[in-house]
Formats: sequence, structure tokens, C-alpha cells
Amino acid sequence: MTTSNDGGGDVRLTGISKTYGSFTAVHPLDLTVPQGSFFALLGASGCGKTTTLRMIAGLEEPSGGSVHLGDQEVTHLPPYKRPVNTVFQSYALFPHLDIFENVAFGLRRRGIKSVKKQVESMLELVQLGEQARKKPHQLSGGQQQRVAVARALINHPKVLLLDEPLGALDLKLRRQMQLELKRIQTEVGITFVHVTHDQEEAMTMADTVAVMNAGRVEQLGSPSDLYENPTTTFVANFLGTSNLIEAEVDTRSGEDIVLRAGGGKLVLPGSRCSAPTTAGGKVLVGVRPEKISLAHADEAGAVPEGRNRITGRIADSSFIGVSTQYVIDSPVCPEFEVYAQNIDRDARLVPGAEVVLHWNPAHTFGLDAAQAIDAGTGADEAAA
Amino acid sequence: MAAATGAPPLTPGTEEPKPPRRRGRLTPYWLLLPGLLWLVVFFALPMIYQASTSVQTGSLEDGYKVTWHFVTYWDALAEYWPQFLRSVLYAAAATVLCLLLGYPLAYLIAFRAGRWRNLIMILVIAPFFTSFLIRTLAWKTILADSGPVVGALNTLHVLDVTSWLGWTAGDRVLATPLAVVCGLTYNFLPFMILPLYTSLERIDGRLHEAAGDLYAKPSTTFRKVTFPLSMPGVVSGTLLTFIPAAGDYVNSELLGSTDTRMIGNVIQTQFLRILDYPTAAALSFILMATILFMVTFYIRRSGTEDLV
Amino acid sequence: MPFVNWLKRHLVVIAGLVTLGYLLLPNIVVTVFSFNKPKGRFNYAWQQFSLDAWKDPCGVADMCGSLSLSLQIAFWATLGATALGTMIAFALVRYRFRARGAVNSMIFLPMAMPEVVMAASLLTLFLNMGAQLGFWTILIAHIMFCLSFVVVAVKARVMSMDPRLEQAAQDLYAGPAQTFLRVTLPIAAPGIAAGALLSFALSFDDFIITNFNAGSTVTFPMFVWGSAQRGTPVQINVIGTAMFLVAVLFVLASMLITHRRTKQKA
Repeated sequence: MTTSNDGGGDVRLTGISKTYGSFTAVHPLDLTVPQGSFFALLGASGCGKTTTLRMIAGLEEPSGGSVHLGDQEVTHLPPYKRPVNTVFQSYALFPHLDIFENVAFGLRRRGIKSVKKQVESMLELVQLGEQARKKPHQLSGGQQQRVAVARALINHPKVLLLDEPLGALDLKLRRQMQLELKRIQTEVGITFVHVTHDQEEAMTMADTVAVMNAGRVEQLGSPSDLYENPTTTFVANFLGTSNLIEAEVDTRSGEDIVLRAGGGKLVLPGSRCSAPTTAGGKVLVGVRPEKISLAHADEAGAVPEGRNRITGRIADSSFIGVSTQYVIDSPVCPEFEVYAQNIDRDARLVPGAEVVLHWNPAHTFGLDAAQAIDAGTGADEAAA
Repeated sequence: MAAATGAPPLTPGTEEPKPPRRRGRLTPYWLLLPGLLWLVVFFALPMIYQASTSVQTGSLEDGYKVTWHFVTYWDALAEYWPQFLRSVLYAAAATVLCLLLGYPLAYLIAFRAGRWRNLIMILVIAPFFTSFLIRTLAWKTILADSGPVVGALNTLHVLDVTSWLGWTAGDRVLATPLAVVCGLTYNFLPFMILPLYTSLERIDGRLHEAAGDLYAKPSTTFRKVTFPLSMPGVVSGTLLTFIPAAGDYVNSELLGSTDTRMIGNVIQTQFLRILDYPTAAALSFILMATILFMVTFYIRRSGTEDLV
Repeated sequence: MPFVNWLKRHLVVIAGLVTLGYLLLPNIVVTVFSFNKPKGRFNYAWQQFSLDAWKDPCGVADMCGSLSLSLQIAFWATLGATALGTMIAFALVRYRFRARGAVNSMIFLPMAMPEVVMAASLLTLFLNMGAQLGFWTILIAHIMFCLSFVVVAVKARVMSMDPRLEQAAQDLYAGPAQTFLRVTLPIAAPGIAAGALLSFALSFDDFIITNFNAGSTVTFPMFVWGSAQRGTPVQINVIGTAMFLVAVLFVLASMLITHRRTKQKA
């Protein structure tokens, strides 16, 4: 299976936006999805990710800006003239047609007469060769999902758009289909643009993830880059969990920035700070829960030099198998989360115990303190 | 109002799943008894009486006796076949017109009306509340010889064409087949629109998008997706239009002439004026049999059973 | 060609609105002609504006009597058909029993039968039994043809109801009678109401079956029919217009109420 290679399959969005009356679903947005990549648009519901996808598909007319596929501008082309196909949320399989005819639909519309071979080999690819003459409602959710993928892929689109393709499946099947989709993408080499609200799904499958919030792209990068080096509080909180501490810039020493928080000192590598750092200015210091080590207050002396450290009291702990999750009450941060791997469990680390938290300064990141500290935690949505 | 009930399931092929077995074995029979008894006594039994009347001979004065006089059927058909044919033709024409007129409106309400949907829905149903006889009489005014409609049709020479086809006569529309078909179409249009709307409204909007995404032009999307999925509505709509139209005599009486008499007119006259009960019963029986036969055949042919 | 494109895109809308116009035109004519002052006996051609008919809607002999008779028959027919039809609908959806198929066809057939056939055969029955044609024969006939429509309306509603709701009620200590009164009936109520409204409209407006089985009794549709032969008084249009307005107001009011309720809930 090959992709048509005229001008490449890059998707270029230039200043694209969508407004409904006074509501702006997507703010002017520039985005390039390189050919052959698996690209994910990640965000909570209503963040504009699906609207963006639908503008690429041609199902939604942009209010401004342009869409290019390779060298071809497609901004105002209707969907049936775009070399793009979509796997719809809950699949939108034609209930009056059998599986074979569903998959053959696009080929027939383009006037291709002998579709049998192609449809059969496509059904083989998604392991549904036996089901060709069944109606969609006779198939299970996972099988329907694969039909939807086959129906889109058989057209060799330049770009395959997936709108929450796994949302209707249960957890186990979803895991399985994530791997399956990744396999298919590697096999056919087509650009995939995948919309999801599930951060784990986005990180497992995509090469590049764009995190969207309130109609804007907050940050774009590889999954590990986004996780290790978030540049906004939204990304820090939405992708996994972050502990954010409000701190004041004290001095700079070489590459590092020294900060003051609640009487203690914290070190932050300058390259990992996305905020302006003038002496006396405020910065949000972040660290992921699994980077932190926990020591009982009696062992405070044993903590090596050169590590960031904070004191506190264990407020709560829950054992979840591979790790134990602690919530620490600390003067600098009321609910500090720490995930400790269950290797050598210290029996003294129970709620009420005084502890020292310490971590390698290289794992610290700095964010602009002008943002809402709880953006993307879900707490901000409930308040809104 | 009728919208709330949607399309009556005129397609017996699509049966609901059987409910679970319950305690209280006699309860369903008690629930069914009064209503079914009513239907048996006042619907089924009369059919049998009618069948028996149709093979009786005698007179009003001396009374009737069952004499298995099947010749009545033959005589009735021989005398009234033009009215039969006319009924089927007019009803078929009205059904086709209802489908052509009703589909765009049902489509409009289902997909394009937006916030006007409820208002249009009310406007479709509201005429029901004015007695249909009064509304049918209004067509006498609309199609009046000196009225603007006839004037316009005359100026555009449409009436020349329809006269040549035999649909109208001279400069008149009233008292012609065209007026009757026009009235039939008008009267039964809502019975077409409502089931069409119900089945169109059930179609998932994403299927249209999916078809567009898979290279179907809007017209192809309609042909390959929308229309096939609206087939249950088309079938019940055409049945709900054709059946009453074929038996109607009101439109023919009010808007037509003696040349447009339909079988309903004949049955009515035979029963209520001439009092020739055997002939009337035979005609009624033939009409019933014809329609049941056509309906069964039509449902089989349209194959709605295996539609989802 | 922007105009052609515009036309193409809005073809369905235009065609739909044309149909809507076709549907509403007679009602407009009926309303306009309720203000007419016709010469002669027939109200088919416009003469001059007049409020006479609106000032004296019952000024025509027998018309308001026939109207009140039609309303009475419609009321009792609705009551009877709704009660019998609802029972059948519940039996069909909620219970398993022998001869379901036969019962279903028995419900289906009256809807698939031309009115004139039902009218004629029912008259044969009444004549054979020597029944006195009038109020009671009309009522019997109306209950008969309204029944099926009630069954269909109620069945649709009860079928879409989650059977687990009843199980939940029983789990929460409601006996069969209480489950029915507190859960099943309130949920089925919109279907029953729809069936009842439909019955009322069908019965009130019925002409063909009534005409066969009324004897010398005159309902409102029969009065209109008769006047089409003898001369149409303007008052007919007044009644028609008033019915239309009442119906539209009724529907608007009920929609407003449901709109408010959903707003309050939201």
C-alpha cells in the first residue's frame, strides 16, 4: 500500500479559526503536521480539537485562515473533493449497507468498477475477512471500529483523520486497538491526525502531540518533551500530575536559577524555565510526583547535598500496587503529591509522619506565575 | 399532534422483540378483552356480514336471502370498472404528488429548519384542526373559474396542455380530474410528511458527513444514503396516502363532476340512496380485497423487513 | 453564477416552503372568507368585508347544535378509545401471550382499510341487527376506528421505556399496583395524551364513517357537507378559523410550558 506522493502529505493550517456567533471555538491557529507522522490533538471536551479536525476534513467551513494538503489549498473544497478521510466518532457506518459495501463506498463513488480485490485485502488487513456480508449492527464495537478504519484507509487518503476513534470501547479493547492502529499506521505510512481527550492514548500512539485548551494550542511536541518540560500550567496539570510551588527569584548562578520558597531554597535549570526571571519576580516551580524521593525527618541528614528539598507531613497515603501515592502537607504547597515505587518501604512513612522531600534539580521546571495555578486539573472547570 | 405518534407501523414486517414472560398469566387477556371484543364485533363481524350481503338477493320490501349469487360481483365490476380504474389512478397520482411535494418539506424540517423546526411542524399539523370539509371547500374558491390560479394557468397556456391530456376541460379546473387529484393530494399530504419526517429525523447526521467524506457528492449522498434510509417512511407514507385516497369520495363530490366519480362515490350512492345493498357490499368487498392485495404485494416488494 | 449556486444550495428549502404554502393556502382562504359578505347562498367568491358572521357565529339554523353534538361524540369516543387502546397497548408490550400476531393484525387492519369499506360494512351490521342509527351508532363507530391509533401511540411510548425502571420501583418496595401508578403510568402519559388528542381530532373531523351510520343525526362535518349542496353560510368559516386558532394557541402554550420546564431543569 502506498500513499500518493504529489507534493507530500503535509497538513498545513495557517491562521485557521472558527467562530460561532460570539463564541470562538478555535482561535487563529498555525499548525504543520509532517507527512507520515502520527499526530494527536489532545484536550478536554469543548477545547476546539474536534472543530480543528473537522475543518481539515471539510465538514466545517473555517471562519478565517487556510488549509493546505501538501501544495494544494483545500480551504473551501467540500469534503467529497478532498483527499482526506475520517474515522468518525462512533463510526457512522451505513446501517443499510453490509460491511463489504461500507468499505467499498468511497471507491465506488470515485467510479472504480472492480473493487472486490481491494476491499477483500483491506478487510484482511483489519482481520475482518469473514464478516464481509454482515450488517454493521451484527458486529461488536471493536469490529465496527476496524470497519470504520478500513472504510477510510481503502481510499489511500493523504491524511487519515480520527475523531475519538476509541471512545466507545472498553478499556481493555482500547489498549488493544491503540496498538493495532499504531501498527496499521506504520504499515501504510499515511499521516494520521488523531483527536482525543485521553492523554494516555495520545502519548502511547502519537509522535507529536498538540495540547489544546479553549481554542488555542497550548504546547506542541513529542510526548516525552511535553511531559518532562511543560511550558504552561495547563499542560503541566493536564498531562499527568504536577506539583506546582509558588517561588520568588533570588539569584542566578551560572546556568541555574536560585529561588526562594517558604524559607527554603530551590534550584531550577535556566533552560527549563519558560518564564521571565528577574530578581524578585515570581515563578511557578514544578516537579512531577514520581521524581521525588521521600525520607523520614529523622534521616534528614542523609539526604545528599545539591538536591532540592522541602519539608512536610504525610497527610494521606494509598497503596496502588506498583507504587504508593502520598499526599504531603507542606508549608509551600498544601497538597504535594509523591509517588514512591514499592522497593524498600519505610514503615515509618505513615500519615502524620514528618518527612523531607528531595529531588534532582534537573527535574525541576519553571512556569510563568501569571497563569492560574490549577489550570487543567479539572478543578478550574468545575469552578467555571 | 399526529406527529407525537409518528408513523403508525404500517409495515408489519418490522416486529418488536418479544417481552419477557411475567407472572399473572391471565392479566394480558383481561387487558385485551374489551378492546379486542370491540374490534371483533364492530370491525371484523361487519366484514363478514358484508361478505354475506354481497351474495344475497331480494329486495328492500321482501327482505334479502343468501343465495350465493356471485353474479352480483361480475355485474358490479362490469358496470363500475371505470370508477374502479379511476380510483386507482387518482389515488396513485395523488400518492406520487404527495411524495414529490412532501419529501422536500419533511427533509427541510428534519435537516434544514434549525430553530424553525417546531414552528413548521405546527404549521403542518395545525390545518388538521380545521374540519377537512371546510378546507376542501376552500379549494372551490382557489380554483374558481374567474380566480387568479386559473387565470395564471390560462395565461401560461398550461391549461391548453392539461386539456389536451384530458386532465382539465376547456378553461376550467374545477369539476375536472386535476381538481380532484389536487384535492386528494392536499388532504393526505400530512399523512405523507409525518412518517417521512419520522424516518428522516432518525438518520444520524454523521452518516451524511461520512458519505461526503467518502467522495459522495450531495446528490449521491441523497441517492445512496438518505433515501435508502428513509424507505420505511416512504413505504408507510405512500400506504397512508394511497389507501384513504382510493376509498375517498369527498374530493370527487366537492371538486369533481359526474365524469370524475370514484368507487367511493358509487358505494356511497348504492348504499345510501339507491339502497342496492348487495351491489354496494360487493363493490366494497372488491375495494377491500384490491387494497389488501396491493398493500401486501407492495410491502413484500419494497422489502422493508430487512431495513434497519 | 452566484445566483444559480444559491438556488442549488437552497432548492430543498424553497421546495419545502412551496409545499408548506400549498398546505396552508386553504386555511388562509377559510380565514379571509370568514370576513366575507357573499351575495347568494354560496361563500366562494369575495364580495365585501364584513364582521357579521363573527358577531353572530350561531346565526345559522342547526349549525351550533351539530357542533356541540360533534364535540360530545368526540369527547366520549376519545374516552372510550383511549381506555380500551391503552389496555391493549400495555398487554402487547408488557406481556407475552398466545396469538400476538393475530392481535397485532387486528389492530393494524382498521388503519389499512379504506374508510368507506368500514363505513359500509358497519352499516350492514347495524341494518341486520335492526339498530336505531344515531348518537350511539356514531359513537360505536368512532371508538372502533380511533382505537388502533391509540394503541400505536401508547405502544410506541411504552416500548421506549426502560423495563429496568419498573424493576427499580419493585426493588424499592413498590407493589405491582404502586409500580403501575407511580412509575409506569406517569412515563406512559405522553403517549396516552398523544393517542387521546389524535382520537379527538379524528372523531371530531370524521365524515365518511359518520355519514353512513348517523341516520338522521347531523354532526358538524355532516352539516358542512349538507351546506355544500344547499349553500355555505359564512359562519362555517368562522368556526373553521376559530378551531385553527384555538389549536395553534393550544400547541404553542403546551410548547411554552415544556420549554419552561426543561429550562428550569437545566
